[in-house]
Amino acid sequence: MKKIVIDRPRCEGHGLCEEIAPDLMHLDDAGELILDVEDIPEGSPELTDAGAAVRVCPVAALRLA
Amino acid sequence: MKLIEVPERILVIGNGIAGQTACDGLRAAGFDGDLTIVGAEPRAAYSRPALSKALLVDGGSHELAPPTHEATEVRGVAAVELDVESRRVRLDDGSDLTYEGLVIATGSRARRLGGDHSVELSLRTVDDALVLRERLAARPTVVVVGAGPLGMEIASAALSAGCRATLVADGPPMLSHLGHCLSDAFTAAAVARGLTVVLGSAAGIDDAHGVVLRDGSRIDADLIVSAIGDIPDTEWLATSGLLTGGRLEVDSRGRVRPDIVAAGDAAAVPTPTGIRRIPLWSSAIEQAKVAANALLAGDDAPELDLEPYFWTEQFGLNLKATGHLPAAGEPEFLLGDSPHGPSVMRWTHVGGDGVAVAVNHRIPIPKLRRMAAAAG
Repeated sequence: MKKIVIDRPRCEGHGLCEEIAPDLMHLDDAGELILDVEDIPEGSPELTDAGAAVRVCPVAALRLA
Repeated sequence: MKLIEVPERILVIGNGIAGQTACDGLRAAGFDGDLTIVGAEPRAAYSRPALSKALLVDGGSHELAPPTHEATEVRGVAAVELDVESRRVRLDDGSDLTYEGLVIATGSRARRLGGDHSVELSLRTVDDALVLRERLAARPTVVVVGAGPLGMEIASAALSAGCRATLVADGPPMLSHLGHCLSDAFTAAAVARGLTVVLGSAAGIDDAHGVVLRDGSRIDADLIVSAIGDIPDTEWLATSGLLTGGRLEVDSRGRVRPDIVAAGDAAAVPTPTGIRRIPLWSSAIEQAKVAANALLAGDDAPELDLEPYFWTEQFGLNLKATGHLPAAGEPEFLLGDSPHGPSVMRWTHVGGDGVAVAVNHRIPIPKLRRMAAAAG
């Protein structure tokens, strides 16, 4: 199982992660990132999206643990 | 439906965010064949926007999360030639790699004022940024040549480091990027923080660490940094037959031909204002997603629908912008009443779409995009 982890002080709300993986995360009205799915099974198709979403973050606020 | 040859071996040349996102996109689209990504730099992919922002100012991270696409990564090797008939890429270590599908994502490099051996620093790579940060820490006098967003961010970092800084601008700072209103606001913020702006056109650098302007005057500084644009890394394609007037032009799905796509700073893409490069982080990501799909699905893949997203941090102002800049004329204020403080602004282009900009105000980017689209 993999977990999406957010480093909240680092997040600047660019939202590129949401554009890659809208089913997994979104920015709320205040621009705060909400993780709709945190735990992702190994080998699931969502893991590819999660991997891409954490990597497009230009301030490295997301990681997969 | 048209049958296209689905490749089993895909080669990605370029290990920046475009190349990495293409790998992710290929896997997300179901490609489970042989995938290799080749990068000229010895490092893993990193965040380029961070280099001129957090990294210069407070050492914020430029590291990206490690890939999950399980491509074979080859680093520190550059492509030098492409033969499209034999589907072969020659690398600078003398080896060849073959492909059935090719992604070109070689990016671009800094344009230099005084050539490769000039004393000027430029900022394109992590190594460039680390050298610049170290030099700024000694508080030299600094002259920055180039008044685009990058030059302004560097000038801002120089002031933050306690340096005396001069910006050589060949016009109002960021005017061609952002338009009058925002150019004025950012210039005022820069001057208020102590930046000296010299309007003039830099001709070159002399031996004595001076920037020489076209009017004959010169500006001395301990440190010269140029930020005068980028040059796409497409020389290795010179004999490939893929360049059009020296440019690597792609169609609306990122294709150069059915078995070759391109994305990122090296590629010129169709936009509402013609075929041009859009060297932005978010643009590279969008292009790479589209190109990866097109390499697998051809005409059935979605077309590029670029809605650029741009941000900058400088002189105490934090700007986020969606839509095709520059923004002409005066904005409509959706929040606040001045671009000097927390505000959300909207400009409407002829034709209906628009630009939405937030300054010193946190806002979800999807919401900002809706504001840009709702203009007019």
